Amino acid sequence: MAIDMSEIIDAPPIDRIDIWNRDDMEPRIREILDRTVRDRVKGPYAAKTDSEVIAMLERYFARTEGLEAIGISDVARMAGGASKEQFAFTLRHKGDGVGERLVLRMDPLEAISQTCRGREAQVHVAFAGILPVASVRSVDADGEIMGQPAIILGFVNGVTEPSEGTGHGVSGIGTRYDDWAAKLAPQFIDALAQVHRFDWRSADLSYYAAPEAGTRQAAIWQVNWWSQVWWDGVVQPVAMVTYAERWLREHAPICDAPVMCHSDLRLGNFMFEEPSGKFTAVLDWELAHIGDFHEDIAWAIQRLFGTWTDDGTFLVCGLIARDEFLRAYEAASGNRIDPVKLRYYEVLNAYKCAVIDLGQAMRAATQSNNHQDIILTWLGSAGAVFLEQLVMLIREA
Amino acid sequence: MLPSIDLRISNIIKALEQVVLPALTGRERLARDQVNLCIGHLRMIAQQWRWAAAFEAGSFQAMIALAEEMQPVVDPGYAEELAQAIASAKAVEGRDLAEVEHAIVALGGLIDRIILGEDGKVALAPAVWEAVLDYGEKQALRERTWFAATGLDPDRQELPSIAGMMAG
Repeated sequence: MAIDMSEIIDAPPIDRIDIWNRDDMEPRIREILDRTVRDRVKGPYAAKTDSEVIAMLERYFARTEGLEAIGISDVARMAGGASKEQFAFTLRHKGDGVGERLVLRMDPLEAISQTCRGREAQVHVAFAGILPVASVRSVDADGEIMGQPAIILGFVNGVTEPSEGTGHGVSGIGTRYDDWAAKLAPQFIDALAQVHRFDWRSADLSYYAAPEAGTRQAAIWQVNWWSQVWWDGVVQPVAMVTYAERWLREHAPICDAPVMCHSDLRLGNFMFEEPSGKFTAVLDWELAHIGDFHEDIAWAIQRLFGTWTDDGTFLVCGLIARDEFLRAYEAASGNRIDPVKLRYYEVLNAYKCAVIDLGQAMRAATQSNNHQDIILTWLGSAGAVFLEQLVMLIREA
Repeated sequence: MLPSIDLRISNIIKALEQVVLPALTGRERLARDQVNLCIGHLRMIAQQWRWAAAFEAGSFQAMIALAEEMQPVVDPGYAEELAQAIASAKAVEGRDLAEVEHAIVALGGLIDRIILGEDGKVALAPAVWEAVLDYGEKQALRERTWFAATGLDPDRQELPSIAGMMAG
């Protein structure tokens, strides 16, 4: 359907939010994005070796905790990691000869998404006791001691996809859960509901800011975040990305009650134990923010993160049919899904993914600033999938 | 050309699969992941290389066509600059891949400015919105086809082959 933009431009203001004020975003996000541009020229970046990681950790624990006779052993790079360098390791020292199994999650110079380890630590602590999350051992939010921003987490046992299965893919994409779905789907929906019911006002979330309820600020903050990522890093112009930005600004919906959003809760970002299927950890909170719950629902139902049964039924995150998922979420959360807002956030998420794949990933790989540039160019090859989604979603909106 | 590009790509894949990968222990996870991605990229490049210049030239021609569709209905403030940009784009030698990529950045940058309309201050005619959507749809289909071999596209079964797309 054709849109007469002159009608939108002349429309009376809905609220006090200036939809074109690009400076209106969370302060910490602004800092991270500015830091990205400032540090971009420091590359190229090379993957850390085991010996480099050991030296960094020994220095870190000596300085931050005053540990003596530190021994870092059993260093093992962890799978996945299109974004962060991740190593499991065992820490021993004078006061602990048995040892503690931990995970170092560290920023490369530039990743597929540039986020804050301080925010990640705070949200892990906030959700301890509510959802299975890894414990936080230490955080160096700005890399002042480690040399690179990092978080050190307790090691959690589990798998992100069945050890024996028919589908495995990069970053979990394409994973088929088959018979596991009956065990995993209820926990997945419950996790989403728990995240959205969380009382963020009473938690220590000093790295976060909340958008104003009853305004379009929740949506505009996201548009400003991701459009800045795009314009700071654009390698080649993509008209659909620019078109989507304008559409998103001019169609931003009001968020009545901002909630905590995980922002990447999908297949591949939860761990479970075999054979029980019990969740052992909800992972990858790096994109978490306070916003509109529709954003998380729209993220989960993306086609790229789903699979199809042999009879052609689409399964959200490889787990559950779409309509069933939406009904179960409403029942678990008490939230009522507004189809117009859901569609808006489907567009926003497709835009975000296009920006990540065609913008940030391409810029980081072009600068050779990541430990896995080759994954970035691989994932970037999927960018057009989101461009096609943008066309389809905007036409149907 | 001897050895041919196809033969050399095939040789590299064979070396990676039959010599390098087996030499890596299970512990060398990053190395194994990256070698597998190297193989995937090489297989994709083997499908693409002979069409690369024509593909990029096709993208450029589609962008010029979009600019020409926009031209009669853009705000008068952009009309002259867009006309000049179209003329410059048409003068580009289409066989030089680097020159085409440079020209895409130049023309695409102006199209972006027009779409944003000085951050919403300048209205866009409905015809422009439709033109961008039509262009976006066609270009997304071309690029999805180009990169279908990643296996990441959930609807890749519906896509034509690269040769079929280029022939059409």
